[in-house]
Amino acid sequence: MASINDITNEFVRNEIQEYLEQPDERESVIETFAKISPRMQEIGAALIDGQHKVVDELTLKAIADDIQALEVMDDGLIAAMRIVGIKFRENFIYVPEVLGCARAMKTGMAHIEPILSASGIKPAGRVVMGTVKGDLHDIGKNLCIMMLRGSGFEVFDLGVDTSPDEFLASVEEHEATVMGMSALLTTTMPNMAVTIETFIDEGVRDDVKIMVGGAPVSQEFADDMGADGYGKDAMECVALAKKLVKEQAEVES
Amino acid sequence: MTGRERVLAAFRREPVDRTPVCNPTSVATVELMDLVDAPFPEANRDPEMMARLAATGYTELGFDTIMPVFTIIQESSALGCKMQWEQKDNWPTVRMREPIWVEPEDVKLPPDFLTHKDTRCVTDAIKILKKQYGDEVAIIGKTMGPWTLGYHCFGVEPFLLMSLDNPGKTKLCLDRMKEATIEYGMAQIEAGADALTLPDHATGDLVSGEYYKEFLLDLHIELVEKLPVPLILHICGRTLDRMDYIAQSGMAAFHYDSKNPPSEAMEVVDNRIALVGNINNPETLFSKGPEEVRQEVYQNLDAKVNLVGPECAIPLQTSIENLKEIPKAVKDWHRDHSTPN
Repeated sequence: MASINDITNEFVRNEIQEYLEQPDERESVIETFAKISPRMQEIGAALIDGQHKVVDELTLKAIADDIQALEVMDDGLIAAMRIVGIKFRENFIYVPEVLGCARAMKTGMAHIEPILSASGIKPAGRVVMGTVKGDLHDIGKNLCIMMLRGSGFEVFDLGVDTSPDEFLASVEEHEATVMGMSALLTTTMPNMAVTIETFIDEGVRDDVKIMVGGAPVSQEFADDMGADGYGKDAMECVALAKKLVKEQAEVES
Repeated sequence: MTGRERVLAAFRREPVDRTPVCNPTSVATVELMDLVDAPFPEANRDPEMMARLAATGYTELGFDTIMPVFTIIQESSALGCKMQWEQKDNWPTVRMREPIWVEPEDVKLPPDFLTHKDTRCVTDAIKILKKQYGDEVAIIGKTMGPWTLGYHCFGVEPFLLMSLDNPGKTKLCLDRMKEATIEYGMAQIEAGADALTLPDHATGDLVSGEYYKEFLLDLHIELVEKLPVPLILHICGRTLDRMDYIAQSGMAAFHYDSKNPPSEAMEVVDNRIALVGNINNPETLFSKGPEEVRQEVYQNLDAKVNLVGPECAIPLQTSIENLKEIPKAVKDWHRDHSTPN
């Protein structure tokens, strides 16, 4: 088992010691970071600190030095976003700080995505994402999309104010196995149920797994409206999408 | 006591004959729109329709207040934000992906700010309501706080990133935007508003309690000094971690969300501010029946919450039956607990 001292970067070590309180989670993150090279830990530290210009510089340099794009993404960016996600979940940081980290991740991903796309790696799954009709809020949805893409999903972003018909057409067009709906307002949450009803009415409800999220949404509300899953934050969204892709594959096999 | 007297006394945290039923945001529904022929979006832009639909909160539902401002977009429209007016069954919204301001220097109130169709609609509606119902119930207006105006005019993401990158610049923007809050608030007071809701969405779902203290507490204290009617601060979502600061703002009341348990909230504010709330919208008022609504009303009354009402603007498809249950449950609770609250 790795120890905290196996992590070379002092900033990362301090972050883990200060903010990761659940023993199993702490052990798992230490295990991950202990295997990560000092250069990638440095990128991760800059990301956790929201230093997008530093992430930009270090990512470019790593690629120029022939470090694999996949390694930069997994070890430099995604591993660090896990710490950010935990800090957010535990209310050590809030949306402005997460947005700062997301901006840093986006900066790094801008260099990595073209390389990965060109390499033809099979996506982990196809996901259609959108904010429901009447709702123009998209911060949470965008964070989910960023984390999904970073985890190897191909994501089709429908943006905000998405009608049930737009969700339906996009799922059919892209043959998505998972669809994610977001709402920030209690006044627009009912449109999630309306969208699910549209899928039922069109006889395609079983063709796609539907996940929902957003500040006022709860597991109970998701269950009541007949969604397949609810994610509290972007980290849960990724775990849920992986689970739903697997379940849908079992249904179709 | 009349509804008006009851509400204003509760804002002062004075004894009342029963807990007032208060709507600081919106209880407009599609059913009510049909009942008085005042549908969205027109009811947000035509003073006669706005007044007619707002009055149903009293005449049909039995609340002690009337709130004519159903949305949070009237002044943003007057400031020049791009709008999406939607249809009868959807809320009008600001297109925050198309912000109108970037720098503090951009923050300027247009000369027609108070005469613009969408701001004047509210002041005209308040005049109508004051004349018709002013002796019976409290007429509540609504003026957006600078933080919420920041979301609308700068865009949510750019505004929050600015607060992270440059707190000083953000404070300057807020200071300039507060003029809109004051001007629009004063116009509604002159039109006859008994109190004003001041939505300023520094919610725990987005920012920390310390953010509230750093960016808003002093501004809110200043707004209390400048707007001479009871102010009801409205912030959705988790707010327990900032209620101590909110209680120091001098606001008459805080309209709080069902994510915050009534008894814990009452303990934190410790009679320094009245609490209004906090019947859950999506899971109770929208999805369940009168019995569940009644249970939540009782939870608030058992916790001695000062005014009872929905936690926020209700979904437009909420049933009238569930909304009527709120005042009914309040009256029944008081009948069973005969000591005045």
